[in-house]
Amino acid sequence: MSWLLPVFLLLCLGAGAARRVPVYDAFLEGAQEGLDTARRILPSLTAMLCAIRAFSACGLLDPLCALLSPAVAWAGIPKETLPLMLLRPLSGSASLAMLKSILHAYGPDSRIGLVASVMMGSSETVFYTCGVYLAAAGVKKSRHTVPCALLAWLAGSFAAGLLIPGA
Amino acid sequence: MMLQFLFGALMGFSLLYGLARGTEAETVAAMLGGAGEAVASAIAMAGGFAFFCGMLSILRRAGAAEWLGRRLSPLLRRLLGPTLPKEALESAALNLTANLLGLGNAATPMGVKAARQMAKGGPAASDALCMFLVINSSSVQLLPASVIALRAAEGSRDPGAVALPALLATLVSTAVGVISCKLAEKKA
Repeated sequence: MSWLLPVFLLLCLGAGAARRVPVYDAFLEGAQEGLDTARRILPSLTAMLCAIRAFSACGLLDPLCALLSPAVAWAGIPKETLPLMLLRPLSGSASLAMLKSILHAYGPDSRIGLVASVMMGSSETVFYTCGVYLAAAGVKKSRHTVPCALLAWLAGSFAAGLLIPGA
Repeated sequence: MMLQFLFGALMGFSLLYGLARGTEAETVAAMLGGAGEAVASAIAMAGGFAFFCGMLSILRRAGAAEWLGRRLSPLLRRLLGPTLPKEALESAALNLTANLLGLGNAATPMGVKAARQMAKGGPAASDALCMFLVINSSSVQLLPASVIALRAAEGSRDPGAVALPALLATLVSTAVGVISCKLAEKKA
C-alpha cells in the first residue's frame, strides 16, 4: 500500500495543474495554516501529555486495561490501545497525546502502533463536536445524537482492530 | 467542562496515589517528562503536518470542495430528509467536504451555520440535526494528516500505511452511526 500516498499527492498536483492553480502559493497558504494549528494545539497537548504520563506512572493504568481487555479482545484490539480508545471521544488533544505515547513505547510499525493509528483516524471527538454544534444551534435536547455517535465510535474502534491483521 | 474534569482528575488522582504509595518523585518526573515530550513531538510533527495541509490546500484551490459537495448533495438529501431547506443542505455539504479534506478550521463555521438552519428554533434537535451531528462526529476523513505526521515523527518506515485502513474504519463507523440514527428516528 506504499503507493497510495504518492499517488494521492500526485493527484493533488495534477488537479492543481489542470485547474491552473498556482501550486506553490497554494501550498504555502496551507502550510501556514498547518503550522498555526500545530502551534495552537501545543498548550493542550502539553497539559494532556503531562496528565497521561503521570497517570501511567502511578501504576493504575495497566490493571485497569487488563480488566477491560476481555471485552474488546475478540475484535483483536490490543489492551495497550484501550486508553486511546477510551480517550478518543472525550478529547482530541488527550487522544493525540495518548497516540504519541503508544507509538513511542511500542513503535509506529508494530501491530499495536498500527491499530492505535487507525483508531485515532476512525473517530472524532464526539462530545466536543456535539457540544459545539448543539450549543451553536441553541438546542437543549439532543435526543438520540450522543448514543448513535458513541455507537459509531465503538464500531470504528472495533474496525481498527479487525482491519489490522494479527501477528 | 469535559476537559476540566479529565485534566483535574488524571492529575489529582496521580499525585494523591503517588503520595500515598511513596512514588511521588516518579510521578512528578513522569509529568515533567510528558511536558518536554509534548513540545518535542509537536515540533517534530509540525513539518509533516504543514506539508499535508499544503498539499490539501492545492486540492482545495483546484475546486475539490465544490466538486465533492455536488457529488455528496444527493446522498445528503436522502440522509437529512427531503424537507430540509436548500440553504441548510448546502452548508452541510460544504462542512462535510471541508472535513473530508481535513480542513477543521474551515469546516466549523459552515457546520455551525448548517446546525442553526436545521434547529428550527425548538428545544429538541430535529431528525436532520441529529443525523448531521452523528455524521460529523464519526469523522469521514480522506487523509488523517496529523496521524501520518506523528507516525513519521516517531520514525515509521511507512507512515502512510494507515491511510487506507483508517478510511475504511471511518466508513464503517459512519455507516453504523447513520443506520442507528435512522432506526432511532423511526422509533420516535
